[in-house]
Amino acid sequence: MRRLLLGSILPALFIVFWEISSRTGVLTLESLSRPSDILRAGIVGLADGSILVATGQTFETALLGLTLAAFAGIIAGAVLGLSPVLERVVDPTIEALRPIPAVAFIPLALMMFGFGVSMEATIVAYACVWPILIVTISAVKAIEPRLLEVADVLEMTFVERLRKIILPAAFARINVSLRVAAGIALVVAVTVEIVLNPRGLGYSLILAQQSLRVDVMYAQLLWLCVIGYALNVVLLNIGPAPIAVWRAGR
Amino acid sequence: MKTIDPIKIAALGFALALILTWQLLAELKFISPIFFPSPSRAGAVLLARVLDGSIWTPFVATGLRMLLGWVLASFVGIAIGAAIGSSRLARDLLEPTLDFIRPLPASAMIPVAVLFLGLSNAMSLAVIAFGAIWPVLLATVHGFSSVQPELRQVSAVLGFSRREFMQKIALPSAFPDIIAGLRVSLAISLILSVVTEMQASLPGLGWDIFYAQRVYRSADLYAGLILLGVMGFAANHTLMLFERRVLRWRNLHG
Amino acid sequence: MQVRAGRTVTGATIDAAIPAVSMHQVGLSFGDSSPERRLVLADITLDVREGEFLCIVGPSGSGKTTLLRILAGLIQPTAGEVRFRGQAVSGPSRERAIIFQDYSKALLPWRNVTANIALSLEAQSIRPADQQPIIAALLAKMGLERAASQYPGQLSGGMQQRVQIARCLAQHPKILLMDEPFGALDAMTRQALQDEILLLSTEQHMTVIFITHDLEEAIYLGDRVVVLGDTPARIIETIDVDLPRPRDQLTTREDPRFLAHRHRLFSLLRRH
Repeated sequence: MRRLLLGSILPALFIVFWEISSRTGVLTLESLSRPSDILRAGIVGLADGSILVATGQTFETALLGLTLAAFAGIIAGAVLGLSPVLERVVDPTIEALRPIPAVAFIPLALMMFGFGVSMEATIVAYACVWPILIVTISAVKAIEPRLLEVADVLEMTFVERLRKIILPAAFARINVSLRVAAGIALVVAVTVEIVLNPRGLGYSLILAQQSLRVDVMYAQLLWLCVIGYALNVVLLNIGPAPIAVWRAGR
Repeated sequence: MKTIDPIKIAALGFALALILTWQLLAELKFISPIFFPSPSRAGAVLLARVLDGSIWTPFVATGLRMLLGWVLASFVGIAIGAAIGSSRLARDLLEPTLDFIRPLPASAMIPVAVLFLGLSNAMSLAVIAFGAIWPVLLATVHGFSSVQPELRQVSAVLGFSRREFMQKIALPSAFPDIIAGLRVSLAISLILSVVTEMQASLPGLGWDIFYAQRVYRSADLYAGLILLGVMGFAANHTLMLFERRVLRWRNLHG
Repeated sequence: MQVRAGRTVTGATIDAAIPAVSMHQVGLSFGDSSPERRLVLADITLDVREGEFLCIVGPSGSGKTTLLRILAGLIQPTAGEVRFRGQAVSGPSRERAIIFQDYSKALLPWRNVTANIALSLEAQSIRPADQQPIIAALLAKMGLERAASQYPGQLSGGMQQRVQIARCLAQHPKILLMDEPFGALDAMTRQALQDEILLLSTEQHMTVIFITHDLEEAIYLGDRVVVLGDTPARIIETIDVDLPRPRDQLTTREDPRFLAHRHRLFSLLRRH
């Protein structure tokens, strides 16, 4: 409670100061707009659905990329985590590919897929796969060897092993990496849209800037903060839920 | 005669096998040479540019951009982080606001930065600094706010001033966190350098790749990607070596 | 509290003048608003003589550590007053060195042993050149010469605790406040350090207030043992330990008076 109150002081002062100085002519840069106009633009954008459509597009692509990355990362991570030899063989290649920023692949993806969902999702997938892969490898390596011995004794297939032992045991840490990756997915999706993909929130930001609708632009920035924050909160809270569901089902 | 680790050979072999497969697929035209030029072609382009020296300008341009933005963000981030992390009041006043702004993608600030600074190096630097400051700021806040209570008490008993406490105890205590934050910041600086170059047509590797795609010179595109990989790897590795040296007390065991 | 005539562990004659530490009806409660008010310590009245080795025992959570922190000046009591050599205690001071149980958290892991000890000297603005001989003497006294350039992470628990003691001695303290310092160590190391601390306090004529949950340790080390207990914590009993000095791990512990004190303490704590 105290945190909420104290934490609101500075933003509130800032907003009030901004509003007043722009109304009284102290601050006149056109690039600045003012809180009341921004709020209005935001409400308009929400009401006519334009912001929501764009948000939906961004989320759709981010989710697609994240899912791809999760599949590839978790399966490859499980395989490599189980076989230390294999991991050491593949590791230099991973270390060589990982430092390349995913955004650098934008032109390549453009060449291959043209504008649209596939191109963006691919870039998101490339960016998200590394944290998921690396955490999964380390989580699988940390699984109690006794559990894996049990799997051997019961002569489980790889898929059964994955489903019944590896994933549940490594779940907590993989979950954390998925949460991190989700944040990355959103950021990368917006970035690709800003650079050149004509869909989603990033694109509407650029449009607003280029048509000099600064109030719309700031409103969208604010909206991005809100959904980013909301996403974090949601992820933090639904994280433990799948574990609870799984436990209940046993 | 030192025995060579067979695993290392296998690792090398694996990487080579991937490259060779790529080469084979390109030669046999299983994959379109437009999208996947053979490694030999990409390599040839890279070699040519190394030989004629044309590789350095974009490489240095991107490198400088990345480093400048990172250094700027680091200084400001550590300074602000130290102040916030050491004061309960500052944390309560500022953390909610920081938590709210943090999820914003740094690239989303590009339109704003362009409005104020145009398509310029200043814009690029501003965006990079904005994006790179978060990891180091947050890590510093965490580092300073998690100094062992016993150490605070020791400092109180010994009679250290606030400045002495920060310098002798809080800062070294926060080092591991700060350095971890610096590594992430560096990676973000590289990413944002590439993005801003693409966006604003500023000279550098990002721009080279962008341009290569426009004129369908895919070998150049791949050459650019390889160079970016090298830069990213070198930067991170250097920082890691620095970290190992500064934090060498962590790895010692009785 | 009556002042007993005679000699203490340090051999100094009892002077009926100012006690080293004087507590009068000291109390501490947590929480500001009434429903949350939790009385932790109540009505602690105790005088500690110069050069005395006082042990404080009591069940876990009985407020022993809190009392020590009050003596150190790290916490202010909500009732009563504490005086150190006649002066009111208003805050921490180099004169009152406190040794923590968790040595790993009380040492600077990024400094080696020498530099850790130097921390106390830096606080006294002693120049590096002048620090050398002081540190060398302390290293010798605490048996740390071989470990001088090692880091705390490389040392055993006993060695780390010795470093902490050395750092405290470098403060030139007038009193040592020790919070279950040997609790985390194995039995043999514990015994070695017990004898070392006894020797130290004798040589330096040091007043020591020593908290422990180990009743036998308390009897072995102390001139007096104060028993803290109940909720809120108060002094249940004070026992004068009339065992001869110097103490010996073997013979002292078999002395019938030792066993009698031990019996008394155990039965007291069972009841409280």
